[in-house]
Amino acid sequence: MIQTFQFSASDFQKDEPRELALLSIISQSFFQPFSIEDNLLVILTALTSGSGVGFNRALLFRTAGEMLKGELWLGPKSPQEANSIWEVLSTPGIGYIEIIEHNRALLRQQSDSLSERIKPLVYALDREPLMIPAVAAAKREVIWVKEAWSEPLVDKSFRDVINVNEFLCIPLFSGDEILGEVVLDNAITRRPIEHKDIQLASLCGLMAGNYIYATTLHKKLVDMERMAALGEMAMFVMHQLRNPLAAIGGFTDQLLHSPNDEVRTRRNLEIIRTEIQRLEEVLFKLSPFLKMDLRKPITFDMVPVVQAVLQSVSLMGNRKNVHIEVGMEDSLPEIYGDPTYIGEALRNLLENALDATKKGGRVSIRAGRSEPNWVVLSVEDTGRGFPESVKEKLFDPFFSTKDRGMGVGLFYVKRVMEACGGRIEVESEPGRGTIFRLFFRSREGKGENA
Amino acid sequence: MKKLLIVEDEETLCLLYKEELSKEGYDVTVAYDTEQALELLGREQFDLIITDIRMPGRDGVELITEIMGLRKDVPIIINTAYQSYRDDFMTWAADAYVVKSSSLDELKSKIKDLLNR
Repeated sequence: MIQTFQFSASDFQKDEPRELALLSIISQSFFQPFSIEDNLLVILTALTSGSGVGFNRALLFRTAGEMLKGELWLGPKSPQEANSIWEVLSTPGIGYIEIIEHNRALLRQQSDSLSERIKPLVYALDREPLMIPAVAAAKREVIWVKEAWSEPLVDKSFRDVINVNEFLCIPLFSGDEILGEVVLDNAITRRPIEHKDIQLASLCGLMAGNYIYATTLHKKLVDMERMAALGEMAMFVMHQLRNPLAAIGGFTDQLLHSPNDEVRTRRNLEIIRTEIQRLEEVLFKLSPFLKMDLRKPITFDMVPVVQAVLQSVSLMGNRKNVHIEVGMEDSLPEIYGDPTYIGEALRNLLENALDATKKGGRVSIRAGRSEPNWVVLSVEDTGRGFPESVKEKLFDPFFSTKDRGMGVGLFYVKRVMEACGGRIEVESEPGRGTIFRLFFRSREGKGENA
Repeated sequence: MKKLLIVEDEETLCLLYKEELSKEGYDVTVAYDTEQALELLGREQFDLIITDIRMPGRDGVELITEIMGLRKDVPIIINTAYQSYRDDFMTWAADAYVVKSSSLDELKSKIKDLLNR
């Protein structure tokens, strides 16, 4: 005998603390930098832990194309194991993080057992006859199987694997997209499933579905963006290499054809050397891109970083006879970000500013608090500036206003700022100059003595 | 002696083209950008124009458009590091498209073909 339910979370009593606690724990875990696998484990944990829904075991299927595949099975293998696990989990003061850690360890231990048993379970979602468990996912319906042994709709091999008379199938989906299914049972305690359990499990399923959907979508987007950026970069590199290679090839051929002209030989070798240097420059300029990974930002004092960067560009300023003016507010709070990348970004801005500014001009760097919990670092020049039309494209990769510009500098700066949760703004007036403002999140109350 | 106009912003490549094409028996003039090229075209007659596309200021596509407006019946070779400009239909107005490489053979043979046509 089976019973089906409309998939909805609407008939919940909103003030029930158990539901709220469950909801908040699951949704909080989604904001953690956990992997999708870890977050699914959080949901399975919520479904099986005593303080959550309290099922004995939770079995997770994920979809791959039109197939439903067994992936994870969380729970004790035997009553003995159950006792020892539940003893650990009922230790006073144990929190969700500990339970998840424990479950992760459990999964690793039993990698040869429970989860392995369900890996061979694969069901087509688009082919009749649809059996349980596949039918729950395919029809996006919660199915409560009460007497599995006598129920003809239950797939025989599935019944053999889970070996229990009563279980619950919760589909995981978002909109039209079927993403998987969770099968829950009380194989150890034989406690009958109640309506209350079904409501809670459905709610977890709803959240899990949306979570998987959002994560896979986000990953797809990131991949696509990365592919597009990579393609663009490959194209660009190809072009950047062609001019120097044409020169190297041409002047080498001259050497081969007239090896006895000493003056020309010397000149050609010098040209070739310079062009090789240009090739190296292309690689050098691209290298920060390739290794830029979005590490977790730390908080740090920006003053020494700014000073180090100033040191590195001071020679360029002297050479161009451009005065670099510095004005930093006292006792700035620490900012969030990666000091190496932020230093590199600042150096890019300063070099651009120096490039754009004529002899006798001025470049100013200022740092100060802006809104609460924000620090702004600005780089201003009295250079040639640019019109509004350029502003739109300014941060695009490979866009440059310089004759031999690579168009990577500002793109890089923008990516660094995004990576640390900050932002960049620019104002410019042709003939008067340009000001870039970097906004960093700051940690007030710290770094006063730094 | 056939007169060639080379429009190219890379000084090193200008030097190379001038030397190599002079050796082939051509009278070679160099312009470093579109403006300079147009100025020369207004003053002198050329038998062939070889132009880069990506240059500071107005690019090679704009140069080709201008030349077509002048109704000068002079063959044009595009010589660029970029394959992708072939997609720009204005570049179809040119008589040949050469992608820069480490050898000048293709450029030289295209010049010969167009001048003998």
